[in-house]
Amino acid sequence: MTSNLPAACTRPACSYAAAVLACLVTVGLAWPLADWIDPANLVMLFLLTVFLVALRLGSRPALLAAVLNVLLFDFFFVPPRLTLAVDDVQYLITFFVMLAVAIVTGQLTARMSQQAREAVLRERQAHALYEMARDLAGTFSVKQLAELTRSFLRQTAGIESHLWLPDSRGRLRAEGQSPDGDVKLATRAYERGEPVERLGPTGAGPGTAFLPMTASGRSFGVLQIDADVETLRRERPLLTAVASLAGIAAGRLHYAEVAQATQVGMESERLRNTVLASLSHDLRTPLTALVGLADTLALAQPPLPPPHGETAQALRNQAAGLAKMVNNLLDLARLAAGGGMAPRKEWQALDEVVACAIEQLGTALDAHAVEIDLPEDLPLLEFDAVLLERVLANLLDNAAKHAVPGSAIWVAARCLDDRVEVTVSNEGPGFPAGLDLTMPFARGGLRAGYGLGLAISRAIVEAHGGRLQLENPPEGGARVRFDLPLGKPPVLEEEAA
Amino acid sequence: MTQVLIVEDEPDIRRFLRLTLAQDGWTVAEAGSVSLALAEAAERRPGLVILDLGLPDADGSEFIRAFRTWSDAPILVLSARSQEADKVDALEAGADDYLVKPFGVAELLARVHALSRRRLPRDMPEQALIRFGETEIDLARRQVSRAGSPVKLTPIEFNLLVYLASHPDRVLTQRQILRAVWGEGHAGDSHYLRIYIGRLRQKLEADRTRPRHLLTETGVGYRMVL
Repeated sequence: MTSNLPAACTRPACSYAAAVLACLVTVGLAWPLADWIDPANLVMLFLLTVFLVALRLGSRPALLAAVLNVLLFDFFFVPPRLTLAVDDVQYLITFFVMLAVAIVTGQLTARMSQQAREAVLRERQAHALYEMARDLAGTFSVKQLAELTRSFLRQTAGIESHLWLPDSRGRLRAEGQSPDGDVKLATRAYERGEPVERLGPTGAGPGTAFLPMTASGRSFGVLQIDADVETLRRERPLLTAVASLAGIAAGRLHYAEVAQATQVGMESERLRNTVLASLSHDLRTPLTALVGLADTLALAQPPLPPPHGETAQALRNQAAGLAKMVNNLLDLARLAAGGGMAPRKEWQALDEVVACAIEQLGTALDAHAVEIDLPEDLPLLEFDAVLLERVLANLLDNAAKHAVPGSAIWVAARCLDDRVEVTVSNEGPGFPAGLDLTMPFARGGLRAGYGLGLAISRAIVEAHGGRLQLENPPEGGARVRFDLPLGKPPVLEEEAA
Repeated sequence: MTQVLIVEDEPDIRRFLRLTLAQDGWTVAEAGSVSLALAEAAERRPGLVILDLGLPDADGSEFIRAFRTWSDAPILVLSARSQEADKVDALEAGADDYLVKPFGVAELLARVHALSRRRLPRDMPEQALIRFGETEIDLARRQVSRAGSPVKLTPIEFNLLVYLASHPDRVLTQRQILRAVWGEGHAGDSHYLRIYIGRLRQKLEADRTRPRHLLTETGVGYRMVL
């Protein structure tokens, strides 16, 4: 019967034709029965037809069937038969009730069956989304993620899509085959976190939607959908859901990557520190013995005969020089290893570090008077005192080594706008032309020893957000100038004096 | 007071220390590990301990904690540069001073002499007057004078000065000083210390940029030299 109509009959013209056919079949079935059955009971057969048409073909074909059935019933079964004329006026009531019942049941049935169909569709979509989410949770690359999303949309909704994902510098790139999409619109959707649409001039026909893949409040990419405008409207909830599922998966991949990079960084930092610490221990232990034993020899009581005493003294000096060089090399290794180190900054007084650097150098500065010019009201600065002491010790050591014997060395500081500028200068030949600080092992002038100390100093100053420059001022000598940012030192609660 | 215990695992460094200290008039005992050192210390009751921090069986700080439960004898720690955290640990465990490797005879003897002449008892001195340079601290009357004329100090400046001056020739960590002078709640406020030390230097040192008495131990703390 009518229930055997092919379900694929979805086009409007086709379903109207099927409705008409169903009505005619009803007439055909009722015709042989008309002699034995009262026409009023035949009405039931026609109502059943309208009901079935509504169930299978929807509300409009059901409406057509309702009207057509009344006419067919009248024509074929109401006396006089085979005319539209009616003998008994009572039949008008039959027609009216028949029409009303047919229309109402038809519409109700059609709506219910439409809702049932939609529910099944939604259920199927939800299930598919659930499966997509499950598959996405297992992805381990963005390539896989893009492939999954695209094939899901193609299979579930027959929609073509592309993914735009940010590269390492945060710029969107089309994943896989480059779509003829618009990187500007995609970027707009990505940056604003809102969907962007590109429609044809008429607002119908083919269009493109760019849906941001958002998760935990930020975009991780853009889902580009190419479909006709009506599909875009109808499937919007599904598309939004897919975009956000893809966003969650992309976010997970992103954070996993970040966590892994951090992990690797921490591991290599720990390894680096361990290696440096044991290297430092292994180098210093023999040096300590060497310096100490040479010293005991040089200071032995009773004193060694002059040539041996001098040899012991030379041994001691060489060992001390070696110790200094090892310290510098280890510092440089620590600074250079893995892109530098983070200084342990605290609020410090510059004058303390200057005094300590001078103290640390001891006899190396004996031949020179060190003149210190620091403003009394210099605020505390945020730096790593141990590292900055090394900078000043290196600069003072260099200055002393290259100065005219007996001349003075100056250490001065002054506040500029947002920085403090420190200079260390001497009287001497100045820096040789072409001294390159970026080459740690460069040597300045005839006498050895500029390179390493200056390179370390520069690295430390830069790690503090400052700059270190060398200059030969017109009045002669050499000058190193470096600056440190002036921060906002913590406020001190003054005591009630 | 002439017995010294050297705790160091490297035989050549031990040799150098032994030669130097023996020549300086000390009776030397040696140990190469924390457990041996504790046994030696218990037996010999040394008047001075020289201790390397990196020992094969345990951290040098463990020796300090154990030793400090029954002895006040000064402890001089030997450490490598760039191990400020280790130095601070050792000092807070009870060490008195440290020497950075490598070091020469002169540096070693200077530290040893400063530690051995340190007045006892360990902390607050008995006398009511402390003198250094031109400065005189009158503890009873809470007054400070420099070259005979009074110096005005705030209560915190005075407390800080007295705390430092009553632990002379000893490295005090920032945290130890902050706890003692400002209280437990300020143990992390190192900027207080910087500013107040600056003010004390301004008032009491001949040249504040080249202090002779209130000395900074970079990354560790301060040392008062009387």
